[in-house]
Amino acid sequence: MRKIANILLNLDRRIIFLLIAAAVLVPLLRPFNLPGISISQPVKGVYDKIESLAPGDVLFISMDFDPTAKPELYPMGISILRHAFSKDLRVICMTLWAPGVGMAEEVMSKVAREYHKEYGKDYAFLGWMPGQLTVIIGLGQDLKKTFPKDFYGNKTDRLQIFENINSLRDIDYMVDLAAGDPGIETWYLYGKEKYGFELGGGCTAVIAPGLYPFLQTGQINGLIGGMRGAAEYETLLNRKDKATVGMDVLSTTHFLIIGLVILSNIFYLITRKGKTVR
Amino acid sequence: MLFLKRYLPLVICGFTGVVFGIQYYVPHKASEDLLTFINDWMIIIFGFSMILALASLFHVHYQKIRRRQSGWGFSLIVFIAIIVTVIIGIISQGETVDEKGLTSFGWIYTNMLVPLSGTMFSILAFFIASAAFRAFRARTLDAFLLLFAAIIIMFGRVPAGEYLWSKIWGAEFPLQMGDITEWIMGVLNMAARRGILLGVALGAIATSLKIIFGIERAYLGEKE
Repeated sequence: MRKIANILLNLDRRIIFLLIAAAVLVPLLRPFNLPGISISQPVKGVYDKIESLAPGDVLFISMDFDPTAKPELYPMGISILRHAFSKDLRVICMTLWAPGVGMAEEVMSKVAREYHKEYGKDYAFLGWMPGQLTVIIGLGQDLKKTFPKDFYGNKTDRLQIFENINSLRDIDYMVDLAAGDPGIETWYLYGKEKYGFELGGGCTAVIAPGLYPFLQTGQINGLIGGMRGAAEYETLLNRKDKATVGMDVLSTTHFLIIGLVILSNIFYLITRKGKTVR
Repeated sequence: MLFLKRYLPLVICGFTGVVFGIQYYVPHKASEDLLTFINDWMIIIFGFSMILALASLFHVHYQKIRRRQSGWGFSLIVFIAIIVTVIIGIISQGETVDEKGLTSFGWIYTNMLVPLSGTMFSILAFFIASAAFRAFRARTLDAFLLLFAAIIIMFGRVPAGEYLWSKIWGAEFPLQMGDITEWIMGVLNMAARRGILLGVALGAIATSLKIIFGIERAYLGEKE
């Protein structure tokens, strides 16, 4: 028995890789269509705040992620923009991550087209600027001076959406979709703390646990964590998309890893027991 | 020279540190104008630092190629990739899309950078699974508790876990899987994270004060 356990403990990692590949591919090819996802309070916090805004209110979104975080944060961006445009909010978007510019622009223009929104009136994309936290301070001091032109080269002081929007003090809500640093903590420290706007966040699953202290104190009013959070938001909007599809894959891979960990511990206990007896 | 190399940076650092420490609490227009002025400079300096970063990157990889160090071929790819992307980016005027659709620059971004980055990140799933199988062992009580909490979170954060739980205990059972995972995240995890955050914050304050008052001079290249 101990011999078998030893062999299994030293299982060729390529077998584990194959199992993971199967756990990812099978649900993609044959979705299980698992029943509804329960909604967590942190996700509902972001949803409820956007829901409470009136048409014409300003939602500021910073998409601080790069293509590595696309599976988790791209669906969040889509859902939040769908929610905002369906409520006729004015949306201003930017990114603090240079490699994220293309994706942020893609998300913005894709959803805006879907809702027949007019650029410069209903939404605007500021793009990226070097400086990270200094950009946040700049936006808090004077938005149009920090971004004299938007991503497409239009002068911000001539765009209708920026009427009465001079700094971060004038926005009604901000959501930061972040994959790391600079991200939600940076926006809190250099933005919300000084300029007093309401802040919510969306982030990759790996950094979500670290943001719970901010959530509990109300420093951020809500948090969408990982693909699961994105799927919850899609459920709230009653518009299932890529994150919900990804839930099947997440389920199989999580179950596989749980199974592997339990098995490896059983094998480990068997081998250890043998050694103690000897 | 000693004044320029040692004392002037200390004076600038100490002065700006104290002034902007106070500035934060003074909402007067003059104070806000000062912050705006300095912040503009910081954005400009940050922009120039990117040139410095690029020069440093080129220098490191050039040395690797020149000395034929192991993996020098990858350094060559770095050079080629940067130069080609910059040239195409200039030709496309930095635009990823135009009226015809994706520009050449946009094509590189969408069809090369996005899938390559995604692939790099998704490889983690394979390594995490393999590492979990090999290293995640309940050798001690602490390790067992960590393992147990991790399994509950992994089980409860996916719809299949919630579904199975409600099938076993019933949908009316007062303690659903979502409640358990939220409690672990919002109480146990949060308490530990807060402790770490407080420690980090106090450390950052202490280090900042040491730098402002010239006690910590490592940033000037001085040894402890």
